[in-house]
Amino acid sequence: MIRFTALAYALTSDTRYANMINPFQTRFAAIFQNEVRLNSRRVAPYVLMLFSVFNAVLWSAGLDATYYGQEVLAKYGRLWASNSDYYITHNFSGYALGIFGLPIFAALIMAEPVRRDFRLEIDALIFSKPVSRAQYLLGKFFGSFLVLVCCQASFAATLIMFQVFPTSQMFVLPFRLLPYFKHFMMIVVITYVLFAAVYFTVGTLTRNPKIVYGLAIAYYPLVFFYGFFFLKGLPPRWRVLLSPLMLREVQIQTWGRSPEWVDQLVVTYTPIMFANRALVILAAAVCLTVVCLRFRIAEPPAKPENFSCLNLSAGSEVLYYDPPILQPTRGSTASEIRSVRVEKAEAKATAVPSVSSSNTGLRANLAKLAAALGVEFRLLRAERSLVVITPLAVFVPNLELAFYRVVPEGSYSATYATGTARTLLSFLIGMTVFYVVESMQRDREVRIEPVLWAKPTPNSVLLLSKFLATFLLMLSVITIAGLTAIAIQLLRGHAPVELYPYLVTYSVILIPGIVFTAGVSILLNVVLREKYLTYVVIVGVGAGLSYLYSQGYNLWLYNPALYQLWTYSDLTGAGGGRILTQRIYWLALSCLCLALAHLGFRRKSAKGFRVNGRLGSTGWALVVTVLSLVVAVVTGSMIK
Amino acid sequence: MLKIKKLSKTYPSGIQALKEISLDVPSGMFGLLGPNGAGKTTLMKILATLLEPDSGTAEMNGIDLIIDKHGTRKMLGYLPQEFGLYPTLTAEQTLHYFAKLKGVHDKKERVALVDALFERVNLADARRQRVGGFSGGMRQRLGIAQALIGQPQLIIVDEPTAGLDPEERNRFHNLLSETAGENAVVILSTHIVSDVSSLCSQMAVIRHGAILASITPHQAIDQLKDSVWEATVPREQVAALKSRHQVISSQMLGGQARLRMIAKGAQPGEEFTPATPVLEDYYFDLVNQR
Repeated sequence: MIRFTALAYALTSDTRYANMINPFQTRFAAIFQNEVRLNSRRVAPYVLMLFSVFNAVLWSAGLDATYYGQEVLAKYGRLWASNSDYYITHNFSGYALGIFGLPIFAALIMAEPVRRDFRLEIDALIFSKPVSRAQYLLGKFFGSFLVLVCCQASFAATLIMFQVFPTSQMFVLPFRLLPYFKHFMMIVVITYVLFAAVYFTVGTLTRNPKIVYGLAIAYYPLVFFYGFFFLKGLPPRWRVLLSPLMLREVQIQTWGRSPEWVDQLVVTYTPIMFANRALVILAAAVCLTVVCLRFRIAEPPAKPENFSCLNLSAGSEVLYYDPPILQPTRGSTASEIRSVRVEKAEAKATAVPSVSSSNTGLRANLAKLAAALGVEFRLLRAERSLVVITPLAVFVPNLELAFYRVVPEGSYSATYATGTARTLLSFLIGMTVFYVVESMQRDREVRIEPVLWAKPTPNSVLLLSKFLATFLLMLSVITIAGLTAIAIQLLRGHAPVELYPYLVTYSVILIPGIVFTAGVSILLNVVLREKYLTYVVIVGVGAGLSYLYSQGYNLWLYNPALYQLWTYSDLTGAGGGRILTQRIYWLALSCLCLALAHLGFRRKSAKGFRVNGRLGSTGWALVVTVLSLVVAVVTGSMIK
Repeated sequence: MLKIKKLSKTYPSGIQALKEISLDVPSGMFGLLGPNGAGKTTLMKILATLLEPDSGTAEMNGIDLIIDKHGTRKMLGYLPQEFGLYPTLTAEQTLHYFAKLKGVHDKKERVALVDALFERVNLADARRQRVGGFSGGMRQRLGIAQALIGQPQLIIVDEPTAGLDPEERNRFHNLLSETAGENAVVILSTHIVSDVSSLCSQMAVIRHGAILASITPHQAIDQLKDSVWEATVPREQVAALKSRHQVISSQMLGGQARLRMIAKGAQPGEEFTPATPVLEDYYFDLVNQR
């Protein structure tokens, strides 16, 4: 309240005098400071800081763990200096490119500032003060951008710190500070001025953060296509000028060079590079100008609410009056009052019938699970995203089989089954994460939780209904994709069609993959509670694992998708037992995730493990936790 | 009877919402009155098994509401102050879903129950409409219907008439009075004193997380017998009177102030005449005293 009062005071005070006394007391400064303060109360900036520090540690201290690092170490006896000009720009370029999701974090910070005011309905209070559009919007933008840069600076700060505290494998030149500052400003900060301005403009004008997040996710294919189809064909000067990230331009090819050669490199910026940076800043300024010109205080026109035309109560011609007898007069008892009210009740009032209810036992709980599952399906059916995602998930894995030459490996059916399974798995994992997170958060978002949680329904029903609904949805996608593959196989004349390869591939590769993804997504939802935080963590971990797999670290123990670890012959031949053990290991971990989610679920059911002398739901969850852990440890130790 | 003993709750932010409150709630309608932030909703949430207290007990019909949450939920009908519904489901689907979760598995019984509830809350014509298109009042009525599923023995309604027009408010009060019957406990949390005075046989006043009084409305009014006075005085005198006496309400009417005050014993001044006490007088007296 005090902070808001300070903000309101700054907004209403006369800037003519405020400017003369202290530039930090202008309206722009008030909004700027308030934005920084609001961001400091959010989770996203701290998560971004942690990710940045983690990245810096990985890229500095973990260089010797990569194939290339190991090669250099074996050939020359040491690595490049971690604070050489080359390596500093190398790190900043990778960081700015967003290998660990920096553009998504930037979107999380920059999409919300203006929309938050409207969501919290504080907009009317702010806009009733004499604050101009530019002061408001620029204060919001620069406040959020400062927070973003501070988070990014934690990456640079960790790199600088490694000069003082290097690991045994690191080689460090004498301490330096200026190159870090220079390259950080040129490569990271200026690049992200543009990204931040774009996100802020889109978020402010649409007031729909989902569009901004979509844009952030689309960043990766956009950057790829922009570089591949547009920049590649341009002359070198234009390529440097029009590259928003300026990555290739500051990086020098060091393949096969000795560490001494790399360490003595000095990265300098040419005039055309400076022109590129100026162009990026100009583009950001254009975005901010557009947002200042186009921003409207009024809410964007929404779809009109479809109110029903009901004859509420007895109709408008009846005037309401409070019957005087209902006022507590001395001498009239509560039962008298009640009887009068009952008499006054309308003649058509129907008595609420008595019903029998059953709330204990497996049968009753299965009936509740079926009811909850039915509702989950109805809600899933209303998801418009299904209309877009499902056809993509069905057809994209089949594209190659439909249009390219198919070389049978064993049999045509085996080739079709394995060919679809590899691509389909990526879609299924993404869809599972999305629908689990959405369904887990939906109850809170629509504020039905207090009503739902007050019903005598076990937590297992609430959690399993979401798990099973997603699982069955994915199963139907698998079935449709499989049927499509069979149809293509028939159309292309690749007979005979055998069902066994499809069944074995999908059930061994796809189903455990989606079961684990659903289980871990439910657990993360329960633990983190925040929807977008859950997405960020899942995307971050997924991107991290993909990076590790691409570097060759794709061990069985942390590879639930069996990425690069299976062929069709492994499923049916001698490797079948090994793969089966691995799948049991992941299914056990899935059970463990679900049991832990049950134990950590915010809605508490019963205190203690035993209720009325029998094992309660907490007790059962604990039993499943221990059993799953035992199975996971046993099967994990069997995997070679 | 619902027995609450030494119930305490402090939120992680440090706010002590309930301070060892003890309360005996008999069958019938029980009004819980208090200003905003008094701790009413916290108490309701604890009784509705949605919030864990730090200490204390609550027991009804041999069931410990704090420990046996499943048992409590079986006999509970809860209408929170703020709630939502799945916008893409119809009213009928919503009510059937809640009835199933409440353990009403027999289809015939459930259909009859849902039909009757729609009639009672005057939503029969809208039963096949999606809840997303409902007005605030219609949504509130659907909330009331779901709270009455399965003969609940403990009904907790938190500010239930917010968003209802006067006619619907009246109808809801009738419905609650009927449901209370002989055996059920209905706790009506509100800050509308007239609702409690017209509906409840027992009431409690809560403020700053403590129970200030637990009493019947008639006893409360009796306590102020011959103590409430009214007068119309010039505006300038109001400050002086307020400093000397316990003024419970003042209303400006054409340059004059109409005052209502409590003075136990003697007449506060010549201009004052005795007034019939009402529950509002008791409430304001109690809340302003402490």
